[in-house]
Amino acid sequence: METIVEENIDPNDLKKFEGLYNEQARRGHISEKTQFDYAWCLIRSRYVSDMHKGIALLEDLMRIAKDDLSQRDYLFYIAVGFVRIKEYERALKYTEAIRKIEPNNRQAQQLDGYIKAKMKKDGLLGMAIVGGAVLALGGLVGATIAAVKKK
Amino acid sequence: MAAGPYNYSYIFKYIIIGDMGVGKSCLLHQFTEKKFMADCPHTIGVEFGTRIIEVASQKIKLQIWDTAGQERFRAVTRSYYRGAAGALMVYDITRRSTYNHLSSWLTDARNLTNPNTVIFLIGNKCDLDAQRDVTYEEAKQFAEENGLMFLECSAKTGENVEDAFLDTAKKIYQNIQDGSLDLNAAESGVQHKPATPRNPITTDQPPNKENCSC
Ligand SMILES: Nc1nc2c(ncn2[C@@H]2O[C@H](COP(=O)(O)OP(=O)(O)OP(=O)(O)O)[C@@H](O)[C@H]2O)c(=O)[nH]1
Ligand SMILES: [Mg+2]
Repeated sequence: METIVEENIDPNDLKKFEGLYNEQARRGHISEKTQFDYAWCLIRSRYVSDMHKGIALLEDLMRIAKDDLSQRDYLFYIAVGFVRIKEYERALKYTEAIRKIEPNNRQAQQLDGYIKAKMKKDGLLGMAIVGGAVLALGGLVGATIAAVKKK
Repeated sequence: MAAGPYNYSYIFKYIIIGDMGVGKSCLLHQFTEKKFMADCPHTIGVEFGTRIIEVASQKIKLQIWDTAGQERFRAVTRSYYRGAAGALMVYDITRRSTYNHLSSWLTDARNLTNPNTVIFLIGNKCDLDAQRDVTYEEAKQFAEENGLMFLECSAKTGENVEDAFLDTAKKIYQNIQDGSLDLNAAESGVQHKPATPRNPITTDQPPNKENCSC
């Protein structure tokens, strides 16, 4: 899982997909695929500001996702994005959301385990729980997902 | 672990490609875990697996990228083709459409890998012979016309699964031995690991985690 989460993108790929995205933006219609490709490049960038932007684009896609499969895919990459900016508690909410769609999804389980190991290493697991951050964030993300699910 | 000498002398990078649901992840799982997953969710992007094998009494570590067949991930998965020494291209013998799409997978594989990349065609789910939709003969002919190695396999029973992964490695090793594969080329997909710790040849390869849980 580490291999997949920590890998940085080739800057040329990022440039290429940014170009496609900007081109479509200029024409006034961005396809779901172009937005996803660009978002995926952004979250694997070396720069935190890009990662934030990538997460925002994916959250936008989540809102229009038509089926469980695409929702699941976007949730996974949002989780990866949050791991990369070290917002582990938020990332965990997304792996949990995937499990609601596919309880036996190995990739979500592995990502979940990877995040928890990182939190433990950084001493964050205990802190977050004491601070009640998990609860507060859980409510927020939960509400977004609930809103998407009822359609 | 990382500090000790390597317990293998080469790393070969593989990719597994093909339509959704043909059994790519199950083949990888059967090869690395010797188990069949009856209910396997569609892969998100890519999954990663490793196994150490032996060819001509050389230990070789296979780093295998199992790609998602879903169209949405085409750009994501294409970025993993680069520098693959072996490509396993899979179709499902019970679904003709997955066979018909092979030429587009092959075009991608040819365009995005190097000329020495060994491409192995796998007709999966051969345990479901009663539902067969693609004959062995026509697939064999397709493979011959395109210079591909070919086997029918079953990720369920395990039939021929080892052979597909191992024959690919043997062919790559043979290409190294006869000099047709240049190890110093940037994207050969092969790393030579002399039995010393820490090797500087790490170009575009992912970090080698021994304890990958995939
Ligand atoms: N009978 C039989 N079923 C198989 C075999 N291999 C895979 N399956 C089933 O086929 C389905 C799809 O297998 P996967 O390995 O998930 O397919 P995939 O190619 O990885 O699909 P994507 O990840 O979506 O690209 C699963 O339900 C498996 O149980 C096989 O050799 N025989
Ligand atoms: Mg798969």
